[in-house]
Amino acid sequence: MAIDRKRIIDSLSKVTVSGDENGLIPVFGVLVNQLPADFWNAFAHRLTHLVEPDMLEAAEVLLVNAAHECGYHTGYGIITSEEWNSVVAPMVEKVPEDILHGAVAVLAAWGWANAEVVELAPGEHMVVRAYDYYEADPVCYGRASRPQAYMLRGVCAAFMDLAYGGPYDPTGKKGLRTFTCIQTKGVECGDPYGEFVVTRAGA
Amino acid sequence: MKQIEFERAFDPRRCRHLLEGRVSVLHCHHYSTLYTQLADDCSLLDARSLLARVAADTFHGVLTELQRKRGLLAVADRIAAAEQYYAFAGLGRLKVTVAGPESGEAVLERSHIDEGWIRKWGRRDRPVNFITQGFLAAAFAAAFDGRPEQYAVKELSSIVCGQQSSRFQVARL
Repeated sequence: MAIDRKRIIDSLSKVTVSGDENGLIPVFGVLVNQLPADFWNAFAHRLTHLVEPDMLEAAEVLLVNAAHECGYHTGYGIITSEEWNSVVAPMVEKVPEDILHGAVAVLAAWGWANAEVVELAPGEHMVVRAYDYYEADPVCYGRASRPQAYMLRGVCAAFMDLAYGGPYDPTGKKGLRTFTCIQTKGVECGDPYGEFVVTRAGA
Repeated sequence: MKQIEFERAFDPRRCRHLLEGRVSVLHCHHYSTLYTQLADDCSLLDARSLLARVAADTFHGVLTELQRKRGLLAVADRIAAAEQYYAFAGLGRLKVTVAGPESGEAVLERSHIDEGWIRKWGRRDRPVNFITQGFLAAAFAAAFDGRPEQYAVKELSSIVCGQQSSRFQVARL
């Protein structure tokens, strides 16, 4: 494979951002923030454990969707960025498959998950395994009864949208949500890794 | 007070970024505004208050640790540290205009959440900055050695509503 995952992680993990004179971080075509992972985890966990059981699925869908939209728009900004062009683009031979592998390596470089693509049927299906991810951190003892890596689910689906969902649409009306992702295993559930299976929506 | 150099590290074994010793992640305005919208829509649970409380709890830990590590004892230094952290995190330009253990006021001149919301959906007629409400409760609690739940924060005007700045009022309960 052309993508050198270790080199991507070594190089892109060194990219740092901080607020400008306005306290804002406008990069990759979006406004970015850098907050404690505990903050995002705490809201997701408290919300999903406080809602009535018949509202849980709706809450989870919305948590996943937040990441799906983030992954689509920010993901596009990343794969068209100077940083990507200098480190990852020279490694890309097969488009868009190598771009997908590179994007998942960026997940590791930026501290979202130590993850890799383990299966890919171009245009149809992708399986990502994440061996360490911040969304598993809230479980310190025992095993969660259901998977809780909403952000990774959304981002994995978004990356497939970018790869196979047609040209990037900044309005999000086309392309976004071509694919959907379920989480079949979770470190938070006691499994050795989290597993994210992406398929075409409605398939 | 001089500019703080926030400490960064990357753990290559776990692929985690650390800011001031805490695992930190980058997210965009799509993510933060959609979380905010979820909180706003989940009225049965008062998820707006939940989001503010989560922010208060998280940032209280961050700010008290900042104060401890850097030996910040004066109120002015503690407030400056909170403002600098807020900006460093990309949340915007926040100025505490008056502060005491019982009450205070703050102005948000530029805002990740308000401006992100406007970029995504345009203006609206109600405030959306529940995260900053929590941050201010945390900042006041840290500055005056209290607890975040002792402070109520109200947003009196908002960039998202078309005003020049977002203004907040803080009161001890």
